[in-house]
Amino acid sequence: MSTLNFKPRVAVFDANIRVGDRYDEPSPCRDRAALLREMDHHGIGRAVIYHAQTEEISPVEGNQFLDAWLGADDRLVAQWSIMPGAASQAQIETLHAQGRVSSVRLHDTGTAGLPFRPWAYDPLLHWLSAQRIPLWIPLPSMDADELVTTLQGHPGLITVLVGAHYVHHLLIRPLLTLLPNAHLELSRYEPIGEIEALRDEFGAERLLYGSWYSRYAMGPMLFYLHHTRLSDAELALVCAGNLERILGGVTA
Amino acid sequence: MIDGTQIIDFHGHVGRWDRYGMLDEPALLLHAMDAAGIDRSCVFNIFHPDGTTGNDLTARFVAQHPDRFIGFVYVSPLLPATMLPELGRAIDQLHFAAIKLYPPYTPWPLNEAPWAPIYEFANARGLAVIFHTGPEPQSLPKFVGEIAPYYPNANFVVGHAGNTPIERAQAIAAAQAHPNVYLETCSTFRNPGVIEQLVTEVGADRVLFGSDLPLMDPRPQIGKIITARISDAAKRLVLGDNARRLLQIN
Repeated sequence: MSTLNFKPRVAVFDANIRVGDRYDEPSPCRDRAALLREMDHHGIGRAVIYHAQTEEISPVEGNQFLDAWLGADDRLVAQWSIMPGAASQAQIETLHAQGRVSSVRLHDTGTAGLPFRPWAYDPLLHWLSAQRIPLWIPLPSMDADELVTTLQGHPGLITVLVGAHYVHHLLIRPLLTLLPNAHLELSRYEPIGEIEALRDEFGAERLLYGSWYSRYAMGPMLFYLHHTRLSDAELALVCAGNLERILGGVTA
Repeated sequence: MIDGTQIIDFHGHVGRWDRYGMLDEPALLLHAMDAAGIDRSCVFNIFHPDGTTGNDLTARFVAQHPDRFIGFVYVSPLLPATMLPELGRAIDQLHFAAIKLYPPYTPWPLNEAPWAPIYEFANARGLAVIFHTGPEPQSLPKFVGEIAPYYPNANFVVGHAGNTPIERAQAIAAAQAHPNVYLETCSTFRNPGVIEQLVTEVGADRVLFGSDLPLMDPRPQIGKIITARISDAAKRLVLGDNARRLLQIN
């Protein structure tokens, strides 16, 4: 039943929020307090956050900017970006040694000529698997063949595929079938009826609410999830429970 | 129906685009519409330049649930000889309610001469025309602002409200300059603050909810309106009252 005003009826842990300014897109939330107000407005209790500078510029420097957004409470959980290379890996290893890594996000190197192939990524992925660190992978910049080929060599690695769009429609079922430890973040996945269909085929355990704020508004996908055939138990998993499980209960 | 307001989706499709999961199966559409509280969806078929083929498919689709779907006529200047006869047939015999145009499927920007007979028809009949708009050179919203004053009896709906920021600014400027220009909301780019921007800068009485179903599920698209920081009165206008006024639906 829809009404003109909406609030979620389950706890919400957003799997995908970008903070800070991109070089071409200043964030509408200028600081942590503003972001928390926006989350409160939409009924979102907690969020995994990464810094916008890590998208196209520097995962190492962008990660350093993330600290300013983390508070004493656990509402905002850091997600550090990573790429193959000594500086990036050393940074993440140091953070991990400090107990501050609950997930990492893949920085796109394909546009710079380093494909997501085993010869380029196996050492990094092997380390993440060994440390049981889940990996968020943005789909818009990813080659599907590289994704499947490379991740199949790391069957224990937990992954979250981020930003699937309707142009990825033909890919999603093969990816979820061939990569049993992959999960689908839903921020922009809008083919009609597909959330319910994927629930039927793969289970609600494979789906995650993420807004991808500030690229997208926080509310629309949350509204969508609350107006599906998902049971309340499944809704609770998609909106928070699955993410809590993936992060292993660790708060950074 | 949401809180007593009849909800009308102004932007929907008939036809299959399988590779993107767009399937015009009525049960699929109706389930999503019912779950979101959408009473009626306006639909058109843009895949056939003759107009007739797609309009007949639209008519058959609408006939299955005439209380839930409203047909719009599609024509293309790629086949200019068929445009006016097909417009007349679809409006008078198929009882379609408005006109849909898709400039990217043609070489002509929407302000160029090949489109003029369609605008003259709409002006003579007092019809609404909804365009696909966006950054494509044929589809720039600023062109809607150029044609609108010449056809004051027609209403022009800027589909996707320009879609991206630069084109959205053009769409807003066109609507601010001309009272017969409306902005429609569906977009795969669900940027924060867009609905608030449209309502603030153009007025809630000139914004129309659309979803692009079944290319996209209507639920996140109506969620944009429901979760926007606008008044309930504005939501009622955007979600249905404006469309009812434009389509003369009681």
